[in-house]
Amino acid sequence: MNGRRRWVSILTILALAPCLAAGILGAGSQDAPEARAQQAAVKAPAEGTEAAPRPPKERMAVVVLLTWVWISILVLFWLLRLRVREADRVFNMGLRRTAGKAPEERGH
Amino acid sequence: MRTLRDWFDERLGFGAVIGFLEKKDVPRHKHTVFYYTGSSILFFLGIQIVTGVLLAFYYQPTLAGANPSVARIVTELPLGWLLRSVHSWSSTFMIAIVFIHLLGIAFTKAYRRPREATWITGVLLLAASLAFGFTGYLLPWDELSLAATKVGTNLPRSIPVVGAWLTGVMRAGEDVTGDTLSRFFIFHVSVLPIAILALLGAHLFLVQRHGMSVPLEEERKGGKGPVLPFWPNFAYREAGVWLILLGLLVTIAVVAAPGLGPQADLMSPAPEGIKPEWYFLFMFQTLKLFPARILGLNGEMVAVLLMMAGMGLVAVLPFIDNRPAERKGKIITGLAWAGLAYAVVMSIWGLL
Repeated sequence: MNGRRRWVSILTILALAPCLAAGILGAGSQDAPEARAQQAAVKAPAEGTEAAPRPPKERMAVVVLLTWVWISILVLFWLLRLRVREADRVFNMGLRRTAGKAPEERGH
Repeated sequence: MRTLRDWFDERLGFGAVIGFLEKKDVPRHKHTVFYYTGSSILFFLGIQIVTGVLLAFYYQPTLAGANPSVARIVTELPLGWLLRSVHSWSSTFMIAIVFIHLLGIAFTKAYRRPREATWITGVLLLAASLAFGFTGYLLPWDELSLAATKVGTNLPRSIPVVGAWLTGVMRAGEDVTGDTLSRFFIFHVSVLPIAILALLGAHLFLVQRHGMSVPLEEERKGGKGPVLPFWPNFAYREAGVWLILLGLLVTIAVVAAPGLGPQADLMSPAPEGIKPEWYFLFMFQTLKLFPARILGLNGEMVAVLLMMAGMGLVAVLPFIDNRPAERKGKIITGLAWAGLAYAVVMSIWGLL
């Protein structure tokens, strides 16, 4: 990977990081129902506990978080694809090692 | 950056590791996709360890504290519900991929000489993963987990001679109590992690010792097929697979976070619709099908002994299938397909 592309990659990740952090913080700042929490701390709930947050605001924060996770994954995937292409090209040109070297019987 | 890398390299010898990985080759053929399963298992194990440690900060393994502490994690702690969900779903993903990994090895006959020990350590790793799932299922201490654990720990009782003792060891007494919960917790966070790390070390050493196996059909072609360097070509591809798996895991964890049932009551009767985790369903369904008495013998005992014999056969498969290219090998492959079909049908039946 040349220097320019590396810098573009780093800047892209740096640009995405605050967005991802904002998504996490947004989801993390959900207001847990205090009464329910106190009840849970003192005595076990008589009925089952819902696992995921239900209020619309919290659910929206979760959707935002999920969106940022997938955007980050797609960007990283794209960067990896560039690296794979480059590595394959180097290997096929035989610059790294002998191309098409066959596996040995054991311990290759 | 380079100075820092050199500093670490001088002390820790990363260069030797990279040099080893650069020399390592990954064979390319139509079954190469199975090579990704091994590292995916490691990836999910890493997630399990990280999320498990975070959950353990708040979990209380006591009769009175277990269920309320889990309720606190999912309702009070920021993103605690997501953490628990990721932990739960990553265990499901990990066990599913362990099964795929083993099936891939079994059907490509990759366990053949000299990789018998690699197969055995792999089967032991599967057993350890299932034990993780079994012990972890009780920890929320809700009605369903208590009932399922009672059924699960009662099974060994049918084994002649050592059965009652084994059940007592698992339950830390005659019945499932708070002591069972403590015992399961210690196994889940201490004994099993040590066991799995030791087995994993041995397994990875053997994989590096013998190299990646080529499927039998590729080997029989006689030609030396194309390869890909592990570092960096294959490693980058693996990183891509990890990213996709991470995305799927987080999405499913958000969409289908596991709930928490009412606190278990040791005196209350078992609730209806008890079902174990999906990976135990085929055994559960098999047990339900067996009659109470078979030729004067206890039906449950016969079922448990048959299942144990089946597991034993899987563990020693490389020694049974020692001539995989011949007719015997083809018969064993047919039997393996039949066994897999049986497990799938029974699991689906158990779900319905």
